[in-house]
Amino acid sequence: MSTLTPDHTIPTPGDHLRHAERIALLERVWANGRGLVGQLTAVNHTTIALRFIVTGLVFLLIGGMLSMFIRLQLSWPGLNVLDPERYAQFVTMHGTTMMFLFAVPIMEGFAMYLIPKMLGTRDLPFPRLSAFGWWCYLFGGIFLYSSFIFGSVPDGGWFMYTPLTDSTYSPGKGADFWLIGVTFAEIAAVTAAVELIVAILVTRAPGMDLTRMPLFAWAVLVTAFMIAFGFPPLILASLLLEIQRAFDFAFFEVARGGDPLLWQHLFWLFGHPEVYIIFLPAAGVVSTIVPTFARRPIVGYTWVVLALVATGFLSFGLWVHHMFAVGIPLLALAFFSAASMAVAIPTGIQIFAWIATLWAGKPWLRVPMLYIIGFFITFVCGGLTGVMLAFVPFDWQAHDTHFVVAHLHYVLIGGMMFPMFAGLYYWLPLASGRMPSESLSRSGFWLVFIGFHLAFLPMHITGLVGMPRRVDSYAMELGVQWLNLLSTAAGFVLAVGIVAILIDVALCFRLGRRGTENPWQAGTLEWALPHPAPKYNFASIPVVDDRNPLWHDPGVVEATRRTDGLLGEAVDGRRWIIGTGIQSAQPEQAIRLSNSTWLPLFAALTIAVLLGGFITSQYWLSILMLLPLIGLFLRWLWTVNGRETPLEIEVAPGLRLPTQALARNAPGWWALVGTLMIVGSLFASLVFAYFYLWLNAPAWPGGGATLTASTPMLAALGALLAAGVGAWRMPIALRAGHTRAAVIWSAFAILSAIACLALQLPAIADAVGAPQRHAYGSVVWTLAGFQALHIAVAVLIAGFVALRIHHGHVDAVRSLEARIATGFWRYVVAQGLIVWALLHLFPRFA
Amino acid sequence: MSAMLPIGLTRMSMPLVVWALHFVVVYSLQGLACARALWRAPVAGLETMTWVLWALTLLALGVIALFGASALRAWRIARAQTDGRTETSRLRFLTALSALVALIAAIGVAFTALPVALLPTCA
Repeated sequence: MSTLTPDHTIPTPGDHLRHAERIALLERVWANGRGLVGQLTAVNHTTIALRFIVTGLVFLLIGGMLSMFIRLQLSWPGLNVLDPERYAQFVTMHGTTMMFLFAVPIMEGFAMYLIPKMLGTRDLPFPRLSAFGWWCYLFGGIFLYSSFIFGSVPDGGWFMYTPLTDSTYSPGKGADFWLIGVTFAEIAAVTAAVELIVAILVTRAPGMDLTRMPLFAWAVLVTAFMIAFGFPPLILASLLLEIQRAFDFAFFEVARGGDPLLWQHLFWLFGHPEVYIIFLPAAGVVSTIVPTFARRPIVGYTWVVLALVATGFLSFGLWVHHMFAVGIPLLALAFFSAASMAVAIPTGIQIFAWIATLWAGKPWLRVPMLYIIGFFITFVCGGLTGVMLAFVPFDWQAHDTHFVVAHLHYVLIGGMMFPMFAGLYYWLPLASGRMPSESLSRSGFWLVFIGFHLAFLPMHITGLVGMPRRVDSYAMELGVQWLNLLSTAAGFVLAVGIVAILIDVALCFRLGRRGTENPWQAGTLEWALPHPAPKYNFASIPVVDDRNPLWHDPGVVEATRRTDGLLGEAVDGRRWIIGTGIQSAQPEQAIRLSNSTWLPLFAALTIAVLLGGFITSQYWLSILMLLPLIGLFLRWLWTVNGRETPLEIEVAPGLRLPTQALARNAPGWWALVGTLMIVGSLFASLVFAYFYLWLNAPAWPGGGATLTASTPMLAALGALLAAGVGAWRMPIALRAGHTRAAVIWSAFAILSAIACLALQLPAIADAVGAPQRHAYGSVVWTLAGFQALHIAVAVLIAGFVALRIHHGHVDAVRSLEARIATGFWRYVVAQGLIVWALLHLFPRFA
Repeated sequence: MSAMLPIGLTRMSMPLVVWALHFVVVYSLQGLACARALWRAPVAGLETMTWVLWALTLLALGVIALFGASALRAWRIARAQTDGRTETSRLRFLTALSALVALIAAIGVAFTALPVALLPTCA
């Protein structure tokens, strides 16, 4: 079929191919490979997203099973189903699994599955990154659960409070399994954040401008930004605690100037936004399902977007409401109390918009809608107890009792699991091409709904009476044994319901009756696809002119299935998508995506070995693994946008678009912006840790160390600025066509950066000494190390780009990589200036 | 065509950024006041810190009001246009959204700062 691609540079999608042949070509280009190898190398978003969802559901079952043991233990006072040690382990693993291995990943799975289909594109902009994220999530989960095999299961609670989890009170490897395993799995969260931000900003269908974006996409966009700012504090906290455990640093140890509350601040700085990171995509699901079943567009679209954005911000001001009882001054508590209540405003706006939509429409009660009603009832109750807990005096009464357990399960199960099941049933026909059984799914709903409320409603009372949480038994004198027995029995009803739902969903793929297309008569773009959806999604990229394209213009279904529209022909046998303007959604660029590849799996495996080496203290193995890891990532980058990529392609007769290496809004550029937000948030958390320790330490700088500006330090500062100059001049020289000069400027930046480290690090060693002496030394060395790591990455990037320039992959026209490199350098220099000022100037004024 | 008023996603979220900055600064200063006795001397019957926190709150509200007013102005211009173009409807949406975001941010700042009126800096 060599006639399919007559000209590699400027293909002409004319009429020389018939429709069936074009479809066959699309099928072939977008298909995963055959057999097991094909599964291991797959990168397509439909495949990866379904894996996220299935893996998430498996972890739901595992986490749920642990909770059944917990409930059995609590069903009557003085039982010994689990001894106290096992109980702590199961509580820890239950919470950890549900938060990190179920709720977040499954919502990512939904987002990754739906976003390209709703936005009218063929795939996410970085398919290899999605696949890499899934492997990290899977390996991270396995890593965490392998602690059962090695007999050192984490038992410090899913919140891992220090000092309980430091090496004195948690000897052994349990806490290490938690810290490393969870951080490994979180790679999936941050990669998905970058992926989804870029997808939503630049790959929407032509015409889908910001006012026409589905509310689910708005919700995911806000969530992705929240992940970018919210996960880094936890990642940093995990790193600090692991460094303390492995190398005896002193961040959280009072005797050496540390502070255990630093952990709580960092943890809840993540932990509270986390609740909304889970809830907002679920709210997006609700905003998608409610209009469909009300059979009218949503009421107050602008208000719902407002609510999503406002929630995204306000939820970062609530973290201390998890710490009302730790002894923080009252005024500070009052700030957080007020912010905790204020977040009810945007949540309320959304709830009223949904109710108004149902009120104004003609609601149609099918199974997804049933779950939405379950969501309304449950989530509103959870929200109300949330406002109660935002009152400091009430919180002091209910703190660490089962009232809080009841509240958080109402919010999480009500706010996330009910919408998730609603979404599961809603989009099942799209994924399977078949309809779920109405009767079985209704039974599943009632089992879950009744089981849930009977299990958790009594906990409000047991909590108010004084039954403590996190403890494996309670006194008979409390008189709550019958309520607990009821909770346990109902908990099993809930479990049966969930298993029934999952069996129902699994059976649907094999036995469900063949559904008609668009069975719910929905208006969003994903329902224009054939059911089940093909791997390439749309045969022609749709053009959109309404929020509900399928209601507005039913002809769009037909148009997307013909092959004479945008990208109807698989140009040069590669995977292409269209990039559009961030606000206007006008076509701007053609983006070439990766085919199936082993790189994501190998990269994740290398990291698994590296972390395995770390946890077994075989540090030589970890260091050795850095080489293949860097090699794999360089290979990964080397295979993007080479000189063989055309400069522009014809995406439809008469419409030629530049390819991404030339485009201003290139996905790679926005990936850099997203990554720098994550890195910047990580850095800001570290700076917060520095100031927090300073504020709470009796002596600072502690341990007899003084680190102030001196001659070598000033020289280091000069070298850093010189590196910045080199990085700044490089793309200027490149754009002027002086490729040699560009390479020389890169080399200059590299040498200056290395000089900076060579001057700074020995001077710090002289002044501060070993990081183990005092929390001051620990945080100074961590800051310096953090900056050194970024300089190392910048050096690698500069070397890589210089090599690419040398080989002709990057030049005056194809300058994207040079732009990205300079962007990263700019960040590293700015961060270096802050680190420098913090280390060398701040001690003078402290 | 209103010369494409400079309202985008970044500009839209600026009032909430001001809310976040206000929150961080107020919380940090309060911490410094308690841990390091910063600005605890009484001025006109109240601690200096209380006055500082009030001043910062007013400053934040003022900045938010500026963003809100400019968004409102842009929204009025966009609303007055009836050319039916996609850009106009997009502008109308973004300006309305920006004005509402400013409103929510103002409520957020005022609500968060309310305790300053009720409590001493360190209780």
